[in-house]
Amino acid sequence: MTKFKRALTSFVVPLLSILLAFIIGAVIMAVLGKNPFKALQYLGVGAFGSAANFGTTLTKATPLIFTALCACFAYRCGVFNLGGEGQFIMGSIVACLIALKSGLTGFPAILVCLLAGAAAGGIWGLIPGILKVTRGQNEMIISIMLNYVATLFMGVIYTSWLRDANVPQTPSIPDAAKLPRVFHSMRFTYALVIAVAVGLILYYYLFWTSNGFKLRAVGYNMTASRFNGFPVKRYILASFIVSGAVAGLGGSAELLGTQFRLINGFAAGYGFDGVAMALIGQLHPIASMVVAVFFAALRTGSTTMQAATGVPTSVSDIIQALVIVFTVAGMALVKLPEFEAFRLKLSGGKKKEAKKA
Amino acid sequence: MSFAANLILASVRMAVPLLFIALAELYSERAGMVNIGLEGLAAIGSLVGFLVCFITGSAWLGILAGAVAALAVNMIYAFATVTLCANQIVYGMAINIFAPALASFIYRVYFGSGSELSQITLMSGIGIPGLKDIPFLGDLLFNQTPMVYLAYLLVIVTVIYFGKTRSGLNFKSVGEHPKAAATLGIPVIRVKYIACMLCGALAGIGGAYLTTCYANTYTEGNVAGRGFIALAAVIFGRWTGGGILLACLFFGFCDALQIRLQVANFGLPYQFFQMIPYIATVVVLSLIGSKKAGPRAGGQPYRREER
Repeated sequence: MTKFKRALTSFVVPLLSILLAFIIGAVIMAVLGKNPFKALQYLGVGAFGSAANFGTTLTKATPLIFTALCACFAYRCGVFNLGGEGQFIMGSIVACLIALKSGLTGFPAILVCLLAGAAAGGIWGLIPGILKVTRGQNEMIISIMLNYVATLFMGVIYTSWLRDANVPQTPSIPDAAKLPRVFHSMRFTYALVIAVAVGLILYYYLFWTSNGFKLRAVGYNMTASRFNGFPVKRYILASFIVSGAVAGLGGSAELLGTQFRLINGFAAGYGFDGVAMALIGQLHPIASMVVAVFFAALRTGSTTMQAATGVPTSVSDIIQALVIVFTVAGMALVKLPEFEAFRLKLSGGKKKEAKKA
Repeated sequence: MSFAANLILASVRMAVPLLFIALAELYSERAGMVNIGLEGLAAIGSLVGFLVCFITGSAWLGILAGAVAALAVNMIYAFATVTLCANQIVYGMAINIFAPALASFIYRVYFGSGSELSQITLMSGIGIPGLKDIPFLGDLLFNQTPMVYLAYLLVIVTVIYFGKTRSGLNFKSVGEHPKAAATLGIPVIRVKYIACMLCGALAGIGGAYLTTCYANTYTEGNVAGRGFIALAAVIFGRWTGGGILLACLFFGFCDALQIRLQVANFGLPYQFFQMIPYIATVVVLSLIGSKKAGPRAGGQPYRREER
């Protein structure tokens, strides 16, 4: 396959998967006795219908962008960091402690919180990284176990150490440490700007620098890279630190920009969602960000949809899950030699049309 | 009963769901199919098991339905990884995202979003007459729910199957060297599909155990990482039935210990105790290191035409 065709397939497969997932979602709605067209219309209106709604979508997309970039970067180096959630949480815990206890205000507070959050995430990501390179251990299991540890540790913070009187949550961070909005009329804050900037930087690093090329080479073929003299272990460790730091930065940005306090369910599921988005986005940082916005739109829109038509919001979770199920299977399908033969047979007589498709 | 005796009894009980899920992974990996979707499979098994038990009132039907549901979901994994040759790790993750979403959707559609918890009657224990009256050991080994006996029976069957039968050796050869197995006339693709069916069913039983024999209600996230701890148990148990039994007893002990310590209340936040099973998994995995003992063709796609 030529490079162009491959790029085309990596667009077409996710798009078809999304279409298919929506069709199944519509069938489910019909089975529940609701009008799927009306429901989908409200879904669209809820996500994009007004500046305020779109602002909410972008707000929800922000943490997802961070965890998607986290998963994306590590996997580019050939390691599966499934610990995005734990790293995200550790970042938000550290940011919360600093915002509440340091007495800093304004820009210095924000800067220190963000940097410390990124550092905390990086350190939390380093643990599976070190165990991977020194003990050869399965980084997936370790990083997931650390997710549970981080979630429970956050529980200690909001139920005991920094509990807000009778409510199991931390007090809200001071206004002076909150990330400001970009536009007054839309909810999203500079956290989104940071997320997009991180995405662009990772894209530039991975695809336009020689170190990024080497990192991808390690991910593509570890043995060959080792024989080429690339410091494979160093790249793996670095990818864990960077990917953890991205998630940790996301956690602190989410705390300073959107949620302001730690509470039960903070970040629940963000880690695995990030993995899903990175995979649907074909491990491309920019595509992963677009997928994150799409997922966020589904979530925002589904609230409006539930209020207007009574279709439960969890339909959107199903649609989301189906997109990943179809995309991964679809990408495998188009790589099969049988599929290539089939495609050639189809395009044998009418080449021009095949190119369009 | 003393603290220690209670602890050991609880360990055995907590080891059972892990044991089912870990044996599920063993069958899968022995055919070269690394399935990290166990967490999702157990989640769907847990929900369907609960739902069917809630409707019919029979825990047995619940377990059966949980097994069938997880088997069905795992067939998606089997088709994608065996037939389409998708990356097994990536697809396992897809199952981990898909299956819990499906489970919580079904739960919300059926029970609405109301906050009251629906409950079921747990499967009752069956004591083996005579033997159950032996002090302590009787309670430990002969006065449990039938699922506990089933789990231990399954370990014995697994050990005999992989160690002593021709069919078991054929099964293992698919995970070690599928091409050599194929030249000997072993139907590699069929064995892989059978492995995925067994894996789905067993993981579903493990999940259904959590609702029908342990917790009597369904809550989202009730599998609580057991799918991944089971993966660790397979590595820790060096891919053998006996080893996995010991590993699961160890992790079951950690789980029982954290519950006991929470109850004992040392003035520490309870979450620190809840961390014990997860930290134990990390420590154990780090200690045993990377000695490769698993099936050699694990995780690799198999294409018949490829040379």
